[in-house]
Amino acid sequence: MSASSVPISVAAASSVAAAALAFAVGGIDVARMPQASSGGDVLSVAFGGAKDTISAAMLHKADSYFHGGVDMDCTLDREHDCDENCGHDHHHHHRHADGEDHDHDHGHDGDHDEDHGHGHGHDGDHDGEAVAEHGAGGDPWRWINVRVRAPEIEKHLEGDKAVETMPWFWASVKANPHNIDAWTTAWFIARSAMHDSALAWRVIEEAKAKNPDSLEIALTEARHVYDSGRGDSAAARRMFEAVAAAALDRCGGDESKLSEGDRWSLKFARTYISDIEKKHSR
Amino acid sequence: MKRMRIFLLQMKALVKLSFVELWRRNDIFGLLVLGIALMVPLSMASPFGASGASRYLDEMALLLIWGFSLFVALGTGSRLFPPEFDSRTILPLLSKPISRGRLLFGKYLGAVTASWSALLFFYALFVGSMIAHGGGFSVELVQAVVFHMAFVAVAVALALAGSLLVTPSANLTLCAVALAGMFFFGRRLPEYAKEVNGVLASVCRFVYAVGPHAEFFDMRQRLVHGWGGVEWTVVAAVLAYGAVYAGACLGFAALVLRKRRA
Repeated sequence: MSASSVPISVAAASSVAAAALAFAVGGIDVARMPQASSGGDVLSVAFGGAKDTISAAMLHKADSYFHGGVDMDCTLDREHDCDENCGHDHHHHHRHADGEDHDHDHGHDGDHDEDHGHGHGHDGDHDGEAVAEHGAGGDPWRWINVRVRAPEIEKHLEGDKAVETMPWFWASVKANPHNIDAWTTAWFIARSAMHDSALAWRVIEEAKAKNPDSLEIALTEARHVYDSGRGDSAAARRMFEAVAAAALDRCGGDESKLSEGDRWSLKFARTYISDIEKKHSR
Repeated sequence: MKRMRIFLLQMKALVKLSFVELWRRNDIFGLLVLGIALMVPLSMASPFGASGASRYLDEMALLLIWGFSLFVALGTGSRLFPPEFDSRTILPLLSKPISRGRLLFGKYLGAVTASWSALLFFYALFVGSMIAHGGGFSVELVQAVVFHMAFVAVAVALALAGSLLVTPSANLTLCAVALAGMFFFGRRLPEYAKEVNGVLASVCRFVYAVGPHAEFFDMRQRLVHGWGGVEWTVVAAVLAYGAVYAGACLGFAALVLRKRRA
């Protein structure tokens, strides 16, 4: 074999190998391959499982925007400095009206009011002055960081300004349409912070289309209907009853088998039904 | 007096060279097109049919400016010496006569000035878009630009020092990883150190102590959400940190350059 014929032979062999590989791959059920994503959209192909992480990050960003751009982790930095130096305690969890800690606290309290229930528990005393007085535990880098990145203010976006959160919620649900927290929080912000019922309804409609089996979304839809038609709660009651029935159907009557989210939906559906009954009986 | 004049002339020539080189390469215009290609679709987005949100656009624009400035600073800083050594043009340069220290400083000054010009060009566009949607100048904007310029000075110094030690591609990769890593995770390193054990914890603490704290210069959140500026003592501290870090990198680069054979 001459030297010049080697590349030609290699090219020919490679072409045959490529054709054989293409033929073999063509017969595989792509959907059953482990790396295949269920969605099939561009994001699924590009990011695969990382979409959940991206979605969570976008939701975190929306939360930060709702708090006026304050990243709660950064605020913790500042307060951590205070804790170290001032001995203050810090609470950073969401608390239910019934005393039960819960991550999904978007105003699901007994009174169904407009309370966000977003209790971060940031004490006003944890401000920059306290840190300035006491230093940063001998860490000059931390001293700079808390001053550059953690603001002294804490505010929630209200009214039209809360629209700033919507792009991040949208990005979150685009990355993972099954991120129920993102849908329900977007709905909550649209309804309670922006007072934009039409927008809140669009969010729920889209959420329902993407998550037809989600009890939390169904419950949120029922809440929306209940809140929108305060005088006429018959439609809302039917929806709450449907949520409760679906939850019981899902567990075969044994509520201990329900997932945390479904148990939570069942509990609140019952609370709402009970409230409606009480109002009717008055 | 005459020596001072010569020094200034040498600096001017070196600065001009870096400046012309950066703008002639058209990298900045490529980045501009990329920025427009990313920002225009974003600006047309209407999440859930809602309109009026603009902060996310500012944040994305600032993030792009940070990315672009890093790209320009590292590219400019890392290209200062390797081509001179490869093509042996360092020899006539040093025989002008110009000392190695002066050459290093002049080239650094040129690279920083050129990178700053690119940065200010991007910020001019950003401020233009801010004004277009009702924004305006603020203290935090001035501080953000000044901090960003300090960051660029540090990045160029780091890339310059690295370019005298490792190959250009390795230098670019290492500097980009170090600066981007510190930008996003730098402030969290002490917490990571607590979560891991042994050698890894020591590595975290070491990196936290000596790594380039790019996050100090990041005023994006303050700017986007209108928190107001930082105290001037903090500005002074951050600028001093930048100056000392860049100075240390340059000092190290001067040592390496002095021992290196042309």
